[in-house]
Amino acid sequence: MLVLQLLINGLQVGALYALIAVGFSLIFGSTKIFHFAHGSAFTIAAYVFYYAYSVAHIHWLPAILAASFATVLFGVLLDRFVYAPIQADEGSFFTVFVASFGIGIVVQNVIGMIFGRSFVSVATPLSRSIEIVSGLYVSPLSGIAIVVALLFFFGLQFFLMHTHVGMGLRALSENPELIRAYGLSPRRLSTIVFALGSLLVVPAAILSSADAGLNPAIGHHVMLISLAATIVGGVGSLRGAACAGLLLGMAENLALLYFEPQWSEAVTFIVLFLFILLRPSGFFGRAIAS
Amino acid sequence: MLAYILNLATLICINAVLAITLNFIMGYAGIFSIAHAIFFGVGAYAAAYFSMHVSASLFLAVPVSMLVAGLLSLVLALPALRVRGEYFVAASLGLQVLGVTVFSEWKSVTGGLGGVIGIPPVELFGHAITDPVQFLLLTLGCLLPILLITNILLRSSFGRNLKAIRDSESAAHAFGKNVAAIKTLSVVISSALAAVAGALYAFYLGFINVESFMLDTSVLLMAMVIIGGTGTLLGPIVGTVLLMLLPSLFSYMWFLPQTEIGAIQQIAYGSAMVLLMIFRPSGIVGSRKRSNG
Repeated sequence: MLVLQLLINGLQVGALYALIAVGFSLIFGSTKIFHFAHGSAFTIAAYVFYYAYSVAHIHWLPAILAASFATVLFGVLLDRFVYAPIQADEGSFFTVFVASFGIGIVVQNVIGMIFGRSFVSVATPLSRSIEIVSGLYVSPLSGIAIVVALLFFFGLQFFLMHTHVGMGLRALSENPELIRAYGLSPRRLSTIVFALGSLLVVPAAILSSADAGLNPAIGHHVMLISLAATIVGGVGSLRGAACAGLLLGMAENLALLYFEPQWSEAVTFIVLFLFILLRPSGFFGRAIAS
Repeated sequence: MLAYILNLATLICINAVLAITLNFIMGYAGIFSIAHAIFFGVGAYAAAYFSMHVSASLFLAVPVSMLVAGLLSLVLALPALRVRGEYFVAASLGLQVLGVTVFSEWKSVTGGLGGVIGIPPVELFGHAITDPVQFLLLTLGCLLPILLITNILLRSSFGRNLKAIRDSESAAHAFGKNVAAIKTLSVVISSALAAVAGALYAFYLGFINVESFMLDTSVLLMAMVIIGGTGTLLGPIVGTVLLMLLPSLFSYMWFLPQTEIGAIQQIAYGSAMVLLMIFRPSGIVGSRKRSNG
């Protein structure tokens, strides 16, 4: 029964990790920006929702909209006013990474100053677990997480495959020069990518804060998951990132059979390390070993 | 007041060692490690354990801590450096998180969250160094050779290889350089030298716990190098002095809420990193524009 319980929890956590990882992978794959502040987007979404829903007692729907708006705005502004000037100038991996890292530090501390550095939880009517069979507890959130993750993932796939903008985004990851030749603006596409990628963390942020709570330093964990899933799945592969996110969520929960909970991040690290060691190109990635 | 200045100077020296060693891989080899605090911590715990159980002699404890940190970094670097730079960022972030868990769980060596207490003062030729002035001199006596060693290394063919790899890995490879071996060696050197800072820190305070070796420390060290200027000789030192003076500077500003000093400091250097990257990617000391990271 414990195994089944952990499998269900793993599926729920994994679905949310998949969303986070796909957002990061989409941004990294198409713009080549090492968006370390992806974790900050998660933190912002979660705290805006927490404030609107649990502190200001607004209805959940506008609260979700507010969180989405704030997060997308954050992503787009970051792209426009931080990444764009750096990329216009030279845009090495290093410079972009450091700037993004700096943003992460600022966001974590500003949120820490506003909301306090301790753990907060968001109680929703859906957070309560129901005992389905004796000893097996499932909260409605698990189902919602899985459905939402599938919806977003297939919605994104459809968007990328069948719309003009989506095709432009895929072309951006292949060859930014050619995009310009076809009269599309890489800058505008980059803005769209950031809006999309940031939007993808919103459901993950809201659902995981309703399930497990949050603190201002959660962004680092989100980043570790995004990076690990992007590498395990293969850089540039959204399908890979989604599968890897799911794998990491499952591994983290199934590891509870043998280890204490404080070792859960160690499990992520071990999975990542094994992949770097044995299959550096990931599930579906192209060979990138130098 | 004198005690305060001595304390600050000692801590600046210890952090300068860390910043110089981090700059060694960040600025010259183009390897971005977010796990520098772990090697600092491994050095500190190794020195503490060794001095409490075997000997507190400087010439035994420091090499032992260097050896332990060097070996650990080898385990990380060997696989992670075979692949692209982004992978090392991810692997080192993972190691940082894992390391903190190990530091707070391996109670028989690290004392868990409570830490290690009662580390004996370091002995130099059988003479225990407890006087703060003497300790500051000892720290300087470690900082200067490390500065010298890294400089000599960077001026040697090894250093030129490193810069070649930083600027173009494939070009270096085409010239017959063993890229993976050179990068791995640089990480091992950097980590082993960072362990010296760890050992000094443990001996200086006589008490260590996991809080000194968390992600925040790694980030702070990175900020010191970046704000000062990566890939420059004086950059890390300037960055260290600036960022170490920042908290005391903020505590003189009466209008700032005193309980939030830590957060304000982090916001200050976080924004400094962003602004520098937009307007002056080479840092305060650096003048020449970096061509490629």
